[in-house]
Amino acid sequence: MEWNAETLQYLSQCFLHTLSPQPEPRRRAESSLSEAADRPNYGLAVLRLVAEPSVDEQIRQAAAVNFKNHLKTRWVPSNDPNAGSTFSPILDPEKDQIKALIVSLMLSSTSRIQSQLSEALAVIGKHDFPKSWPTLLPELISNLQKAAQSSDYASINGILGTANSIFKKFRYQYKTNDLFIDLKYCLDNFAAPLLEIFLKTASLIDSTAAAPGGGSLVTLRPLFESQRLCCRIFFSLNFQELPEFFEDHMREWMGEFRKYLTTNYPSVESSSDGLALVDELRAAVCENISLYMEKNEEEFQGYLNEFASAVWSLLTNVSQSSSRDKLAVTAMKFLTTVSTSVHHTLFAAEGVLQQICQSIVIPNVRLRDEDEELFEMNYIEFIRRDMEGSDLDTRRRIACELLKGIATNYKKQVIDIVSVQIQNLLSSFATNPSANWKDKDCAIYLVVSLATKKAGGTSVSTDLVDVQSFFLSVIVPELQSQDVNGFPMLKAGSLKFFTTFRGLIQKPVAFQLFPDLVRFLGAESNVVHSYAASCIEKLLLVKDEGGKARYTSADITPFVPALMNNLFNALKFPESEENQYIMKCILRVLAVADISSEIAGPCIVGLTSILNEVCKNPKNPIFNHYLFESVAILVRRACERDGSLITAFEARLFPSLQTILATDVTEFLPYAFQLLAQLVELNKPPISPSYMQIFVLLLSPDSWRRSSNVPALVRLLQAFLQKAPHEVNQEGRLTQVLGIFNMLVSSGSTDEQGFYVLNTVIENLEYGVISPYMGNIWNVLFMRLQNNRTVKFQKSLVIFMSLFLVKHGAQNLVDTMNAVQANIFLVILEQFWIPNLKLITGVIELKLTAVASTRLICESPVLLDAAAARVWGKMLDSIVTLLSRPEQDRVEEEPEMPDIAENVGYTATFVKLYNAGKKEDDPLTDVKDPKQFLVASLAKLSAVTPGRYPQMINENLEPANQTALLQLCTAYNCQIV
Amino acid sequence: MADDSLAAHRRDPIKSSVGNVAAQRRRQNAATVGKERRESLVRAKRLCRVGAPGDGDVPFEENDMMTDEEGFLLEDQTSSAVKELKSAVAYQGKGAMQKRVNALRELRRLLSKSEFPPVEAALKAGAIPLLVQCLSFGSPDEQLLEAAWCLTNIAAGKPEETKALLPALPLLIAHLGEKSSLPVAEQCAWALGNVAGEGEELRKVLLSQGALPPLARMMLPNKGSTVRTAAWALSNLIKGPDPKAATELIKVDGVLDAILRHLRKSDEELATEVAWVVVYLSALSNFTTGVLVKSDALQPLVERLATSNSLQLLIPVLRSLGNLVAGDSHTTSTVLIPGHEITDGVVKVLVKCLKSDHRVLKKEASWVLSNIAAGSIEHKQLIYSSEAVPLLLHLLSTAPFDIRKEVAYVLGNLCVAPAAGEGKPNLIKEHLVSLVQRGCLSGFIDLVRSADIEAARLGLQFTELVLRGMPNGDGPKLVEQEDGIDAMERYQFHENEDLRNMANGLVDKYFGEDYGVNE
Repeated sequence: MEWNAETLQYLSQCFLHTLSPQPEPRRRAESSLSEAADRPNYGLAVLRLVAEPSVDEQIRQAAAVNFKNHLKTRWVPSNDPNAGSTFSPILDPEKDQIKALIVSLMLSSTSRIQSQLSEALAVIGKHDFPKSWPTLLPELISNLQKAAQSSDYASINGILGTANSIFKKFRYQYKTNDLFIDLKYCLDNFAAPLLEIFLKTASLIDSTAAAPGGGSLVTLRPLFESQRLCCRIFFSLNFQELPEFFEDHMREWMGEFRKYLTTNYPSVESSSDGLALVDELRAAVCENISLYMEKNEEEFQGYLNEFASAVWSLLTNVSQSSSRDKLAVTAMKFLTTVSTSVHHTLFAAEGVLQQICQSIVIPNVRLRDEDEELFEMNYIEFIRRDMEGSDLDTRRRIACELLKGIATNYKKQVIDIVSVQIQNLLSSFATNPSANWKDKDCAIYLVVSLATKKAGGTSVSTDLVDVQSFFLSVIVPELQSQDVNGFPMLKAGSLKFFTTFRGLIQKPVAFQLFPDLVRFLGAESNVVHSYAASCIEKLLLVKDEGGKARYTSADITPFVPALMNNLFNALKFPESEENQYIMKCILRVLAVADISSEIAGPCIVGLTSILNEVCKNPKNPIFNHYLFESVAILVRRACERDGSLITAFEARLFPSLQTILATDVTEFLPYAFQLLAQLVELNKPPISPSYMQIFVLLLSPDSWRRSSNVPALVRLLQAFLQKAPHEVNQEGRLTQVLGIFNMLVSSGSTDEQGFYVLNTVIENLEYGVISPYMGNIWNVLFMRLQNNRTVKFQKSLVIFMSLFLVKHGAQNLVDTMNAVQANIFLVILEQFWIPNLKLITGVIELKLTAVASTRLICESPVLLDAAAARVWGKMLDSIVTLLSRPEQDRVEEEPEMPDIAENVGYTATFVKLYNAGKKEDDPLTDVKDPKQFLVASLAKLSAVTPGRYPQMINENLEPANQTALLQLCTAYNCQIV
Repeated sequence: MADDSLAAHRRDPIKSSVGNVAAQRRRQNAATVGKERRESLVRAKRLCRVGAPGDGDVPFEENDMMTDEEGFLLEDQTSSAVKELKSAVAYQGKGAMQKRVNALRELRRLLSKSEFPPVEAALKAGAIPLLVQCLSFGSPDEQLLEAAWCLTNIAAGKPEETKALLPALPLLIAHLGEKSSLPVAEQCAWALGNVAGEGEELRKVLLSQGALPPLARMMLPNKGSTVRTAAWALSNLIKGPDPKAATELIKVDGVLDAILRHLRKSDEELATEVAWVVVYLSALSNFTTGVLVKSDALQPLVERLATSNSLQLLIPVLRSLGNLVAGDSHTTSTVLIPGHEITDGVVKVLVKCLKSDHRVLKKEASWVLSNIAAGSIEHKQLIYSSEAVPLLLHLLSTAPFDIRKEVAYVLGNLCVAPAAGEGKPNLIKEHLVSLVQRGCLSGFIDLVRSADIEAARLGLQFTELVLRGMPNGDGPKLVEQEDGIDAMERYQFHENEDLRNMANGLVDKYFGEDYGVNE
């Protein structure tokens, strides 16, 4: 793309149109641009456009955004083998020109464009800095010094912002020599200029703040912002280890740091905007001193006392304020680091812990307006933070972390003090419950948060209170409160407590509260009914010693009608239409309760109506998954009790499933196929005609194009083959089934599925039915073997041949194969069967292949022929290896080669429905022990021609296998003579 | 059926999801950004305030604290002393030599008077060309000595002041030779040592001008003070980062023997300086490290560690020992064979260092142990059954961060067998179980919470061992009790991909909630 007036005009027009509210011109412009982006020098042209002062600002902004995104996808090194082939990368000459232009362009542009270009620069830096861009740092530094002389803070902050983004990599990469060479380069060049600008800005702030009026926010904003950036760069450069320069100049840095923590800037901080500005700088300072405290405590020691007291008094103020979250969190993190360090004795002094608890921890744990707002406005986010551990950076959580930190060295004191605090909070609540309800919430939060966390487990522990009596005196009254809508946050906290300590609450106590939990499902608050559902769901998972469920179906059956009713009703509350906690609870109840037809009826009605609803627009995959699991478990457990219910289920489910198939609800297809498979299996033949329609659909190759459908379709096909073998053999359907097998088996990513289909055919159909097709089947398999023989495929082939043999006899196997090509059987045997046999894993598969192989050498004339003695011996050798050695000694792990070519661009993935699962069938129920089968068969065979086989064994088996075989013979008391 | 139950379990992948603990010997990174840690006494540059032995006539003035006024006065005096020297150098008449020596002595006296010598004033007044002139060949020893002394203290100043010595370097080097008197040679060595201590650039200049061989030869005799100064200057000169100088030094005839001899026999002060030479010899080049190992350098190092209580000496000796162990696998595989006397000796002195009050000794001793613990099973057993383990366990819960991290490497290495072939780590169950029972897990979980990513990785690796390796599936319970889940969950969105995957993988594998319904 050449840079001229025409290009300028063209690009300007395009970018203008991308801002158009009309979709038509906008789309056209977007597609012209993405086309142009493939041409060389496109990036350069856009950058020049950004720099063109005559062009309208908003067009240039759009261009700057486009430029940044262009770089993100195309600034890959041209020789990077991992680079996606989708975008043509920017070529080196264009890169060089962009690098030459971008710094000065960024510095001279307006702030919005500047931030885009700064990000673009960071993208380049990520790949090229410093080795392929040696001019960048010197250019930044000389510009920084120039800008500093004229106190041009727009440029200074632009440069510092850029430096900040390119240095960030030092914060999370492992120490390697390469990283350190880069770091040293940055330090050697940038450490001194950084300190210089930091001190210069510091003195500017001091003098401005000291002037009458203390300086305006407008004057001071860029200065504070600048200091914050310096602090973030400090953090990056100091992250790996303490650099010499910073150690030598620690006093200068720490002096300013302390100033920002201890000084107030009334003229700035009087507005909330300005307070946030200074707080951001303070938070950055806290992160830096935390880093020093943690990693360089020896060098930092001299400053520790003053910083600890500065942070402490700062926190005492901040804790009273309801905004200032970030600062509160970073400051508490600093104290936490101190508390767990060797200098923890700072906390040992009389009264310190008391102070910290009272003026820092409690105020930060206490509910604030923001928490209440979140509780009401965004229950999902509230639960995520409150219940699911995404609260790593909330004040409540960090305050508890601080307590835990102090407790590492002062456990008893902390427990004593917190226990007293909890009592105080509770008695304050008692004096006036409706005014002081937050005190009680605070107490509950402390107990729950200070307990040791256990994932998915059934118990937690705490030394803070006696859980039983706390539960009875504090929690139970809330749960028994008749008004389910009063003080919802307290109710939520109590339900959370119950859920957390569910393992420690004795069964009779918990059981008594069951009706109350059911009641709270009717609470209007989304959090409360979600927590009630979650509590029930988790209770049903509690296990006692020995792994037995504590709450059984007999326990809950009396409640089930009311419980189900409330659960389905809860899904009608606004915003809870797709509430995953409720759906998961439904699933769990259906898994535990006795499913009588009185329960099954309303449940299937409820579930299908929800299903019909979500089909219109699937949104929440977790909710949907539990929904399908619920349907599957309902069908399975209800039909287990009463097989006749299947008709009612079919009547309910068919319309929904047909909708999914007919309207092609991609996300749900795998689920629908699995449910259908389940229904087919539960049917008694003859199968109803409505299924046969689906069978037709199943056989259309289109259904199989999407890889996410394939596992579910295979499962459905297997169900049909088992339940309706006769129907399969009509109207040329078997040809279609084998066509599908052919399609699946020819690709490496689906060949296993192809074998499932084939194996099901072989297992369920009479030999007379399949024999006309065998020649074709072998052809397909041999072709694949020729083109792409993975170990996985070869193993599947061995299993298939074994299955064929045990079902239809060795002679049929040999004959059908040799019919394709003379004597190919022995070739396949020697090249594939024998070497892969010892790689077979899985109990059923191992037995199947071992028995089939044994039968082959004991029954098949081809192998019993004297000419085949060597092959016979090798086969036996392989069988003995398979049976005598532990799996890890004979199987090499095969590197998985991902095969992505088949994916046709659907994002839907296959998720297995646990409850619609299929039981593994053993095709060889009459043989129990393959080892015994082997030696017994050999003994019988050898008895016919004594002396022949010991010699063959002697000549062909590895010594270790000869010994192993002998041991087997002894173990089963058989003899090879 | 005999072992059906065994076959019924699908084999867990042997491939560890997390990877090996340390396992490799860890050398210090070649690129460093931190300050070089030499302890106070052995500063890179040294002022010469007391005359070299043999120069008994110099009174030492006990006058450290100076007021500003005195400072200005000193600068004035210095400027005039340089002027005086100038005229003395120009003067060709009778008694010229004595006049020069007097002027030099006065300047030297001013430059030695305080801890902050008036170097700037001397340079401004033009001292360098005059001093160079005073170093010319054939000058009397007294004059050479005084001039070199002045230069020594100028070189002890700020970087640009040290650099001012550039024109004097060829002559200072020339006077190191055997023809010079010992005091002169020693004083020149001192000045050069200060120059070398300044930095890589000046070291390169000195090496290219041939300073190394004569300095090396000064190490050969048994003359205490000279050898000490030469060793100190050499330790500055071979600091690298280019290993060439170290290699060159060890190849100088007789130097290796002299080093070993001084290590064995000389007083602690001299041994300290020599030990610093060994530190750099063993840190920089595989060649020199190998030579030292083959020459039994380990033995005198261990003896010193066993007998001395001087921190100044123990630090370089311990670090040398560590370098020899870390740098050359030959050291652990063929010299430190378990059962040999030397091996027991090493473990014993390391235990002594672990017990010391000084954190540098504790840290470095742990580092050395971690490298020995990366050796064979027998090495691991040796350390495991030594007195070190209780000390290490104590340090893991009480020591400052940097020591804890080193200690964790030792304990972690004790629990994994040497990687066979492709590096699938197998546990040493006995060690793991006993260390965990003795309470080390909480220390490792603390490391998981650390901001330091190496430490965090080590913590996660050990956690994985516990989860995988504790018998009866106790691992997850133990990790839970130490609040380990919470510690790992912090990595859910960490920027370091490796740590993120490790932590998330462990949480999913060992603590993942049953997705379906348990039946």
